[in-house]
Amino acid sequence: MSSFSRSAQQWATFARSWFLIDARMQPPGKIASVCSVRLQGKHKPIYHALSECGDHVVVINSRHIAFSGNKWEQKVYSSHTGYPGGFKQVTAAQLHHKDPKAIVKLAVYGMLPKNLQRRSMMQRLHIFPEDELPDDIRANLTEELPQPREIPRKLSEYTQEEIDAFPRLWTPPTDYKMK
Amino acid sequence: MVFLSLSCWIRNRGPDRYWKVQEVLKHARHFRGRKNRCYSLAVRAVRRAFVYATKARKVKKRNIRTLWITRISAGSREHGMKYPALMNHLTKSSVQLNRRVLSDLAITEPRSFLSLAKLARARQQEGFRAALGDGKEPAGVLSRVMLQ
Repeated sequence: MSSFSRSAQQWATFARSWFLIDARMQPPGKIASVCSVRLQGKHKPIYHALSECGDHVVVINSRHIAFSGNKWEQKVYSSHTGYPGGFKQVTAAQLHHKDPKAIVKLAVYGMLPKNLQRRSMMQRLHIFPEDELPDDIRANLTEELPQPREIPRKLSEYTQEEIDAFPRLWTPPTDYKMK
Repeated sequence: MVFLSLSCWIRNRGPDRYWKVQEVLKHARHFRGRKNRCYSLAVRAVRRAFVYATKARKVKKRNIRTLWITRISAGSREHGMKYPALMNHLTKSSVQLNRRVLSDLAITEPRSFLSLAKLARARQQEGFRAALGDGKEPAGVLSRVMLQ
């Protein structure tokens, strides 16, 4: 057993991996729930809240996230500056236009446990608006996470045969006016 | 063996109040501020601390169980199963390991844990097959699948 050393095992056990996740056309909440598990280390059987066994997560394409429904207009991010009359409210679209990283960052921040480790976990989250990564981060990456949502195809990406073969619930009459 | 507790308790009631004070302060020496040396502050803090300790003895069991569950779910997700499915199908396969042992296996014996996960997966597939039958519709039901 001369080749086996406890210190090497320790290093191997607590080494941090770097996960890559592509946020293109993904709901921010689902991206955030994947990230928060990895940042806390809850995907490892050795998890303990105090042992700081979380990993790094790199989120790319955060500019191209997709909210469902009318969340871009109706979801409101509120903050208060602390001064009188300093209550700020911006919609998701405005916030995203100002800072394309902010929505993913706030979503992850809200999903992490509210304790002293939260800030250090957030330091292990790296968000990039596009898919270009700096070389020092690219060199660290170990694994790519699957996207939580399958990207739906646009109507323009379907061929005419697929559109014709698509099952129909109801065939409109010839004189039917489409609204 | 020498039993000192009884004689200490008798001494605490006695004419000298010093020993009674020491009995309380003994539990307060690591507290912060004047609580660790002033009797009238310490006695309140010690009482509160003992109440917390009593409650914590129950809460600890709960917390440790949630930790085991977190660890098992991390281990089972590595093998593509969710925690509720794993536990359910291990129970149905008459594996009577508790959560403490399962979480220990997930950490120290990953291959034993993998074989347990495979067992649960096999039981799950068996259940699915039994529930779905042979892919035919039940008798007396006409559906689009049969028309094609």
